[in-house]
Amino acid sequence: MARVRRVGKRWWVGAVGLLGLCVAAEVQPAYSQQSVAVRAALVKGSLPADDPTAAAWATASVSEFPMSPQVHWPVRITEVTAKSVKVRGLHDGTTVAIMLEYSDPSEDPDDAAALEFMVGDTKAHFAHGQPMAQVEGGPVNIWYWKNKDGKGSDLGAKGFGTLKPHSHQDVKAKGVYQGGVWKVVFSRPLSTEHVAEDTQFKPGEFGSIAFAVWDGKKTESGQPKEKGSEKAISSWWYFRADAPPDYSPYLYALLAVGLALGFEMALVRRLKKGS
Amino acid sequence: MGGVLIRPIILTVCIYLFLKFIVPVLPHSAPLPSSLIFLYLMLVMSGSVLFATLSGESKDAFFQPILRFLTGESGGALSSARYLVLALFPLLVGWQAYGSTASSDAPPGENRTIHPAPPGEYTGLSNPVPKTPENIMYGKGLYASRCAPCHGNFDGKGFAAAGFTPPPANFKDPTTIAMLQESYLFWRIKKGGVGLPVEGMPWKTAMPRWELEMSDEDIWKVIMGEYDGAGQKPRTWDESE
Repeated sequence: MARVRRVGKRWWVGAVGLLGLCVAAEVQPAYSQQSVAVRAALVKGSLPADDPTAAAWATASVSEFPMSPQVHWPVRITEVTAKSVKVRGLHDGTTVAIMLEYSDPSEDPDDAAALEFMVGDTKAHFAHGQPMAQVEGGPVNIWYWKNKDGKGSDLGAKGFGTLKPHSHQDVKAKGVYQGGVWKVVFSRPLSTEHVAEDTQFKPGEFGSIAFAVWDGKKTESGQPKEKGSEKAISSWWYFRADAPPDYSPYLYALLAVGLALGFEMALVRRLKKGS
Repeated sequence: MGGVLIRPIILTVCIYLFLKFIVPVLPHSAPLPSSLIFLYLMLVMSGSVLFATLSGESKDAFFQPILRFLTGESGGALSSARYLVLALFPLLVGWQAYGSTASSDAPPGENRTIHPAPPGEYTGLSNPVPKTPENIMYGKGLYASRCAPCHGNFDGKGFAAAGFTPPPANFKDPTTIAMLQESYLFWRIKKGGVGLPVEGMPWKTAMPRWELEMSDEDIWKVIMGEYDGAGQKPRTWDESE
C-alpha cells in the first residue's frame, strides 16, 4: 500500500518524463536543403552576374548534385567527366544569377554547361521535355553556355530534336576555368514578357531545375568527347529565389501568446472564484 | 491528486509510443504519418474523458484534481509543475501560430506512385518466349549491355546510376519485380519513363523507351534474364483466380 501511495504522489514526475520522451521523438533534425534544392538568397547591392570569381559567391549556400550520363535518348554514353555539380544562386529582386561549379581536367573550346527549367504550370519530362505517351507534358526552357561562344543562349525544347533558340535572348552567361574547375554563371531577369517560352521566377516559390555538362575534350576521332545528347545530366531538382524577409509570423505568434495568457488568467480567476 | 488521471495519461503515452516506434517495425508495416498518430491520440483522449465522466461522481473525481491543480490548491511539488504548465501553454500556442503562418523552407512534397497502373492493353500479357536456358542467357546478355550501366548487378547500383532520382530499381528487392507481373515489366521497358501516366509525376525517371532499340521478343528475353539474375519470380495469377 505504501508503495502505491508513493507512486500516486509522484505520478506526475513519470508523466512529465514520458511526455518529454514524446516531444523529443517528435523533434526532427533540421531539414537539409543540400542535394534537394538550390536557394538563391536575396542580396542588396550589385549581383555578381558576370563574375564567377566574385567574393559574393562565397556567401551563397552551396548545393551539390550527382550527375549521370544521359541514357534516355538512344544517342548516349555510359561514362561522363563531371560526376557532380555544385550550384549556388543569388538574386537582387530583379535579376537571378545561378553558378555551376564542376571539375574538368582540361579547358576545351567545346566545354559547355546548361540549366533546364519547366515553363509555366505544365509539368515536363526532365529529358528535354520529351513527349509523354499518356499525358500532355509541357516545354522546357534551357539556358546554354559554350566556352568558345563566350555567351549564354536562351533555348526552348519539347522533346529531343526540337531544341531551338528563342527569338528573344534574355540569358547571359560567363565561364571561368581555374585549376581544373569550371565556374559558369548564368543570369536572367526574374520575370520576362515571354511567359509561354521562358521560365518565370516568383520569389518564395519553388520551381524545377536540372543541369547538364559537356566535356568538350577532343577524342582521337577529332570529335568532342561529349556532344549533343552525349552529356552528363541530372534529373529535376528544386530551385527557389528567396522572398524578402517576412516578420508577420512573429507578430502573429506574439498576439497568440498574449491571447492565450489572457485566457489562462481569466480561467484560473474564474475557477478560484468558483471554488 | 491524480490517481484517476494517471491511467488515461499513461494509456495515451503508451499508445503514442506503440504507434510511433512499434508499428513501423511490424512485418509489412510502415511509419505512420504524424497527422494519423495525432488523430488516434485524440480518439484515445476523447474516449478516456468520456469514460471518466459517465456518472456525476466519476466526473467530479476526474475534474477535481485538474481544478485543484489549476487553482494552485494542490500545493507541494505540484505548485512548480503548475507554474510550468501555465508558462508553457501560451508559448505552445505562440509556437503553433508561428508554425502555421511562417512560410516553409521545404520543397513541395512529391506523391509519386511508384508502380502506376499500366494501360489496359498490357494487363495480363503472358511471356510468349519459351523459358529455355538459351533464351535466359540471351536476355542476360542484353541486360548486361543495355540495363546494367544503371541497374548494375540486378541491385540498382550501376556505375551510371549516381545522378538519377528516383534511383534505378533494385531487382533483388522483394518490393520491385517480385511483386509485379511480367506484363508490367514489358510495359515499363517498352515505353520507358515517357510512358508513365500522370500519377507517375514528376517524371524524373530516365528509363529509356526501349521499343526504339529492341524488339518485343528481346524485351521478353530481358525480362526472363532479369528475374533469373535477381533470383526472383514474377507474380502470377493463382489458378483459383
